[in-house]
Amino acid sequence: MKHAWWAAVGLAALLLASVGVAVAIGESLDIEAVLGALRFRLLGADGPVPDPVADRIIWRLRMPRAVLALVVGGGLGVVGAAMQTLVRNPLAEPYILGISSGATAGASLFFMGLLPPLLSKALTMPLAAFLGGLLSMTIVYMVARTTTRLSVARLLLAGVAMAALMGAVTSFVTLSSPDPDRLRAVLFWLLGSLHRATWSLLPAPALVTGAGLLVLLALARPLDAMLLGDDAAQGLGMRVEALKKLLIVIAALVTGTLVAASGAIGFVGLIIPHAVRSFTGVTHRRLLPACFFAGALFLLWADLAARILLPAQELPVGIITALCGVPFFLALLRRKAYEFA
Amino acid sequence: MPHAPPLPSPLALRKLAVVLLLWSSLLGHGCTSTESGNAKTVLVTDDLGRQVAVPTIVERVVTLAPSVTELVFIAGAGSRVAGVTTADNYPPATQELPRFSALPIDFEAVLQLKADLVLASDQVNSPQDASTLAAVGPPVFFVGVRTLDDVMRGVLTAGRLLGTATRAAIAADSLAASIRALRALTDTVHQRPRTLVLVSPGTLYSFGQGSYMHSLIALAGGASVTEDHSSSAPVLSDEFVLSHLPEVIFVGAAAADDILREAILEHHPTFDVVPATVAHRVYGIDGDLLFRPGPRLVEGAWQLAARLHPDLVASR
Repeated sequence: MKHAWWAAVGLAALLLASVGVAVAIGESLDIEAVLGALRFRLLGADGPVPDPVADRIIWRLRMPRAVLALVVGGGLGVVGAAMQTLVRNPLAEPYILGISSGATAGASLFFMGLLPPLLSKALTMPLAAFLGGLLSMTIVYMVARTTTRLSVARLLLAGVAMAALMGAVTSFVTLSSPDPDRLRAVLFWLLGSLHRATWSLLPAPALVTGAGLLVLLALARPLDAMLLGDDAAQGLGMRVEALKKLLIVIAALVTGTLVAASGAIGFVGLIIPHAVRSFTGVTHRRLLPACFFAGALFLLWADLAARILLPAQELPVGIITALCGVPFFLALLRRKAYEFA
Repeated sequence: MPHAPPLPSPLALRKLAVVLLLWSSLLGHGCTSTESGNAKTVLVTDDLGRQVAVPTIVERVVTLAPSVTELVFIAGAGSRVAGVTTADNYPPATQELPRFSALPIDFEAVLQLKADLVLASDQVNSPQDASTLAAVGPPVFFVGVRTLDDVMRGVLTAGRLLGTATRAAIAADSLAASIRALRALTDTVHQRPRTLVLVSPGTLYSFGQGSYMHSLIALAGGASVTEDHSSSAPVLSDEFVLSHLPEVIFVGAAAADDILREAILEHHPTFDVVPATVAHRVYGIDGDLLFRPGPRLVEGAWQLAARLHPDLVASR
């Protein structure tokens, strides 16, 4: 058990260092200015802001963006793990199964003013995204399910089809809007980007991701049991169907909230649980937190790569994650019998 | 209109006409004359290097971009324009003309206009579309305007193709004189404010390497901050603007200066430390004067200069 703690400490240190790198890299700022701004904000130094420009770049642009990358990456990693358990297959992921695209369709319908703002914009958009994701996932799940079992081939095909349909809805809604910048908005929704990050955008995704992680951790033992198969889990006295429904709702809720903040970023939920499992094994008590940290790190570095590849511009980070994720996905598809253990 | 360029004298006109005759025989690319059907055509190389068989007499011309329409009108051939794009709005005479969608090209609508020649812009239209169109209808000639000097060249080209070379030469000369007059004023400035031109206050579309925008700003007495940007048509990051700290921001939108400043700050709250917003030096300028590579760029440069150096250039 001791080495698990060391791993956790190591991960936390790596995470901190990565945030440091993400905050320091960009349009050139001298290291004094970076440290000055960080010291002022983190240690609460007295007096006026040392360098207002550096402060804005570091604290209001790069820092919230880095934190959003952590939240979105971590959340997608955790949701990916939960969905892979749900369908007992490592090919599942919110993006591939159409939740993300359903969420973008919901969010863009709201964003373009076609859905009424029920509460406030900050709450309605994630809600619309959640409902879109839930609808899409439910349809995929119903299509893939036969009386006896879940067909993986059907699941993937239905996911691809749903993703195409929902992507078409998003594109149509956005392109037919009066937004002068609609092409770019389509890119944002379909490829995902963290460039909208501000401190005020962060609470909703952070809270929902945190809550999702905690609920899934509380369900760690039933989730372990699910890996044994429906019959075995039922034999252990679990209400398998209820648990599956709950998992779908959690996945849609977390994914929807994240998509509302950053668009549909794909393949994080595919790569991360797979990579993490070889270190942690399949027990969810260890898998889920590890997926959170690994996903957070991965998206942070992917976003850094996106920023470095096209400096002084905005490259959707979903391009980077797809470049990493699709070869991975294909390699997984080639494997004959994939076992979790 | 302060500092209006003088009109050329009759003697100058005659000299010009002679020069033009020589010019058109030398540079007129009049390589071959061919008979196709009843109409005589001349093979001319367009600004994309394509060989185009242009009728020697063009009665009806269609323009595929507003900037080209403006070149044709100022070259004195406005009466030959048979149709324009839905984006055209200048000169006012275009309001009366038949319209078609240009992006993407509505081929059928263009064909129905029965033009002898179609003029396209290398900035807007694609050569593939041109080949598609030329295969079934009139020849397509590309006019390329990438620098300020190309504007005058474009006017002359339009005049040469459409048979109004003399009037085109006068117009080109007048534009060149206006540019010289402005340059004489702005050459003397000591301070060239760091200047950023944005397409809109939201997404930071701007102009990078190789754009004519930088020479337009320089002509107006400013220094463009995006001149070395690696992309030719970048979307700037907020960070880029914060690290280059423009002293003046122009937005190509017909809105009040203060409203544009507010809109910029609403979309980019961190720009509250950018000198241009601090000093309320955010200005709205009709985007058609800045973003249309046509003759009104010169007017655009004067308007930029009036905001950059109000003490030097009277607002117009």
